[in-house]
Amino acid sequence: MTSSLLEGCSRRQVLQLLAGSAACACCGSVHANKLAYDLAATEIASGTWAVHGSTEHFTLENGGNIVNVAFIEVPDGVVVVDTGPSRRYGEALLQLIEKTVPGKPVLRVYNTHHHPDHFLGNQVFKENIVAAPQQIIDNILSEGDGFADNMYRLVGDWMRGTASIAPTVALQDSTEEVGGRKFSLFYLSGHTSSDLVIRDDETGVVFSGDLAFYNRAPTTPHADINIWQESLQSIAVLDRELILPGHGLQDNTGESLEQTSDYLNWLHTSMQDATGLGLTMNEAMELPLPARFRSLDVVETEYKRSVVHMYLALEDELMPLLEPK
Amino acid sequence: MLKTIQQVIGLGICSAIYLGLAVDAYALDAELPEDPLNSVMWENMASRFFPGEVVIDQRVIVQGPLDAENQMQVPITVDATQLDDVKQIVAVADLNPIPHILTLHPTRAQAFIGFRVKLEQATPIRVGVQTGDGVWHVNGVTVNAAGGGCTAPALAHGLNDWYKTLGQARAITRRESEELARLSVRLQHPMDTGLAPGIPVFYMNQIEVKSPAGDVLANIEMFEPISENPTLTLKPLVSDNVDELLVYARDTEANEFNYSLPVPAITDN
Repeated sequence: MTSSLLEGCSRRQVLQLLAGSAACACCGSVHANKLAYDLAATEIASGTWAVHGSTEHFTLENGGNIVNVAFIEVPDGVVVVDTGPSRRYGEALLQLIEKTVPGKPVLRVYNTHHHPDHFLGNQVFKENIVAAPQQIIDNILSEGDGFADNMYRLVGDWMRGTASIAPTVALQDSTEEVGGRKFSLFYLSGHTSSDLVIRDDETGVVFSGDLAFYNRAPTTPHADINIWQESLQSIAVLDRELILPGHGLQDNTGESLEQTSDYLNWLHTSMQDATGLGLTMNEAMELPLPARFRSLDVVETEYKRSVVHMYLALEDELMPLLEPK
Repeated sequence: MLKTIQQVIGLGICSAIYLGLAVDAYALDAELPEDPLNSVMWENMASRFFPGEVVIDQRVIVQGPLDAENQMQVPITVDATQLDDVKQIVAVADLNPIPHILTLHPTRAQAFIGFRVKLEQATPIRVGVQTGDGVWHVNGVTVNAAGGGCTAPALAHGLNDWYKTLGQARAITRRESEELARLSVRLQHPMDTGLAPGIPVFYMNQIEVKSPAGDVLANIEMFEPISENPTLTLKPLVSDNVDELLVYARDTEANEFNYSLPVPAITDN
């Protein structure tokens, strides 16, 4: 076992390894250096910064940084929307906030839903400011540890020291004033069983969480497509200036909503057709993607994942029950 | 590259020592092709499940995901219709605690099957197709998985009344051509492996698809790794006057289930 691990290492690397000076001296360049997220803040509206992640899957290279996080300067402090995939990310985010808005305290942290890339940075913030609807809190309490385990498997050492911490503040009001700024809160669902959408009423920026994806294929592990479509309608009619989707660039036209809706509609219909034809999941995975979706990032793999997510429920719905003879 | 005889003998002796298995005679006189999936279990799997002459054959098409999105329901589809005179199709998961997934005898059916499997960890899924001359045509895929699929309790055990729907079935049947039907059937069963704490082994172990006249079209032996509520896709050969297929299923507690599936006439599209 040990000898196979050391194959391909230089003598120096082996000596380093044996000396214990590096846990994994030769496992690839990303591990040769100290892991660090290279977070950058982009001002997308007045006093509003997006921290864009890549639009890939979780990898050992990106450390799970595939998500959009945001922070907003309000008169008396800072409001944060989502906290990223790991403790290390949370720490980098705090540093970025301090550099961008020096001296201002973080007053409120929202979690838009319970997927791991959106909340596993929670533990670097004061517990009594992290807020979400009760259903998101419950979802994190029941599934968060499993997500964290899986993230360790997928991205490895980036996750060191990360624990699943649920918000302590259960939101239920339709608006909230934080540090002299009014936010509207919309309690939607469909991407998961609870999706929080936040609007900054001053700037008109809508933080859609993962109800909207932009030029990146939507993910569906906890999706209810019909409810998701209704939620997209609800966001579409909001007074707003800009949408920051959970994944992809900010959108000032609403195209992200249309694109997400269009994709989900096609996905749902083609999965219904495939189930109705009695295709196996593998055969459904090989169906051609319409041209208009082929430019979406990671669509090939997300589509295949969605087949697995959707097939069992569609079989319940579309396969006729047989009477035992 | 083929293993040298010494290597094969060496491995045979090793496996005899470490695994307490008998060394198959073939290991001494037939050379096993190198494993395209590079699995440590290859010699062992081949001697247990594909005894005799083995060739790696791309005409055995095995579809499976690179990553298991749900390790309790990993979809696999096998299409060996490019081979003639298929006698049986054996599917195994090298690194599952119980490797044998199923054996299909497609007596009067195409050499095709879709099924779903529980995976305990990342593993090669290997399919051997034995033709009338005795040769095993083998191919496979490697599926990455988070793990725990075989040792976790079935979802049914979260329900108080799972036994009330035991054997309930859903199916879609249609004609792909005048002579060929496609049958997708899902049978409600917990498929307990015996490896989850406190839950004894209990699974559906036999399924037969028959014509109304009683001719067996396909016979499937299933084993513990098959997913909860087994969902099978088959392509039985049917003559144009057949308007139903009979399905018989039995589990390890000798519960028996019989179903009749209507086969619609071929549609115009």
